[in-house]
Amino acid sequence: MTDLANIAAPAMTPKPTKPSRRISLGSPIAWIGLAVLILSWIAAVNLLNIPSYILPKPEAVVRALWSGLAVSPASPLGYYLPLWSTLSNAAMGCAIGVGLGLIIGSLMAEIEAIERLVMPYAFALQSLPKVAIAPLIVIWFGFGDGSKIAISALLSFFPVLINSFTGLRAVEPERIDLMRSLSASRFETYRIVKLPNAAPFIFAGLDMAVVYALLGAIVAEFLGAQRGMGVVITQAQAVSDVAGVFAALIILGVLGIVLHGIVRWCEAKVVHWGANRKK
Amino acid sequence: MLMMDVDNAPQRAAIAPNDVLIAIDQVSKTYVSASGAAVHALSRISLDIKPGEFVCVVGPSGCGKSTLLRLLAGLDGYSEGRLLLDGEKVAGPSRKVGVVFQAANLLPWMTVRDNVGLPLRVGGRHAPAGDRIERLLAVTGLGDFGDKYPYELSGGMQQRAGICRALARDPEILLMDEPFGALDALTRERLNLELQRIWQENRKTILLITHSISEAIFLADRVIVMSARPGRILADLAVPIPRPRTFDDIVLHPDYARLAKDVRGLLNAQEHGHD
Repeated sequence: MTDLANIAAPAMTPKPTKPSRRISLGSPIAWIGLAVLILSWIAAVNLLNIPSYILPKPEAVVRALWSGLAVSPASPLGYYLPLWSTLSNAAMGCAIGVGLGLIIGSLMAEIEAIERLVMPYAFALQSLPKVAIAPLIVIWFGFGDGSKIAISALLSFFPVLINSFTGLRAVEPERIDLMRSLSASRFETYRIVKLPNAAPFIFAGLDMAVVYALLGAIVAEFLGAQRGMGVVITQAQAVSDVAGVFAALIILGVLGIVLHGIVRWCEAKVVHWGANRKK
Repeated sequence: MLMMDVDNAPQRAAIAPNDVLIAIDQVSKTYVSASGAAVHALSRISLDIKPGEFVCVVGPSGCGKSTLLRLLAGLDGYSEGRLLLDGEKVAGPSRKVGVVFQAANLLPWMTVRDNVGLPLRVGGRHAPAGDRIERLLAVTGLGDFGDKYPYELSGGMQQRAGICRALARDPEILLMDEPFGALDALTRERLNLELQRIWQENRKTILLITHSISEAIFLADRVIVMSARPGRILADLAVPIPRPRTFDDIVLHPDYARLAKDVRGLLNAQEHGHD
């Protein structure tokens, strides 16, 4: 017997138990693209004499960024307070949206009556531009944090709902047969087979959800708010501080990339079998 | 029905010869395919299997042999007839039965140890695992691989883990659905040898579905030959070759050549009947 094990063993190449996964810094081409973009920006501003209220000089944007970042985190002039306000509202909304999406998506996947009840509305709402509901939500929830959280939750709900439903239904029948042959309960089958099986789908939904949550919070702030990055943008716009608008957009862009990276990192930790699974 | 040669199976002498563990009585199965057509999968199958017997079922592709196994596993219902396991009517999956699936069917998000121990953690009655899982892993040469994930194992080792998992609850009956079909020939022979050893040590009753004639004769006390759909039993052939068998010895055994010829003849007649 042991000799059999040994014969089979060489077929296995020694692998590290935890393959190292780092967040990729992107391909060199992406960085070259960024450099070309900035260079053509500088060239356009200097050679074509584009007025600064249309396209500010890069150095003006850098200066605006610096003045927002190089201050005490508690300063009312810095980006930190509005960023925190936007981020915390988006995070709260995202948590609610993702939680509800996962729960309702699971119920739809498990119970056919609920699927038939919810599915038509889910698809109808999915095709509705949800940002258009934002003014209504501001009427309902007011100009405080509530409306920001609600719109973030609404926007992040749908990708998670659809993806978790799809992922939970995409389970291989053999795996269900296995659990049935073991007389596993419905919840055991859900927890042990369906949920892990759906994890890559759910993370794809989560990836969209975090960005949508941020979008939702900003849109809500445009409609009326006392603080937040949306307010920073509208205030800069009001005084034609285009460099300030650009700086805020850059902050939001970087934030989006960081959030995406966090989701990808979590996915790599949770769906650890994914990379080698299809081999 | 052909009786098993008791001399070749001295370990089973204590069991009353008439004792039947799996009784399949006039079982038919018709199901509706995805296209809506009624498929007559099994037609009046009757088969008795005694405790400790190793029975292999061979037949052309799509003859309903996997359907038969699914009925015994309680995964599908049957249309007609009677199906008894240890005297009890099959009404669903039973704890007396362990199923070994095609291509191992391990869960990729669990370690090998967790996969093998899964039957002890689900389906109510959570038995304390004790060192049972470790013993099973050791016995099948997976002792050092308990912490690995299935994708880190070769196909042969994955199926060993699949067999371990089916044995985790110490079932009386092992149902195996073409368990080695996806493996290369050499790995397959090794696992056949190993399965024979496990069977001789554990005294399980095994029903194994295969389309390999040599695998069936090597492993089985009885080879059941099934017809093309609707599946019927064409022959029930005893394999009076002493154990433990090896592939080198068995091909020289006169009964091997005779049985292989008979089974091949029956299957070929089926193929031609189809043309």
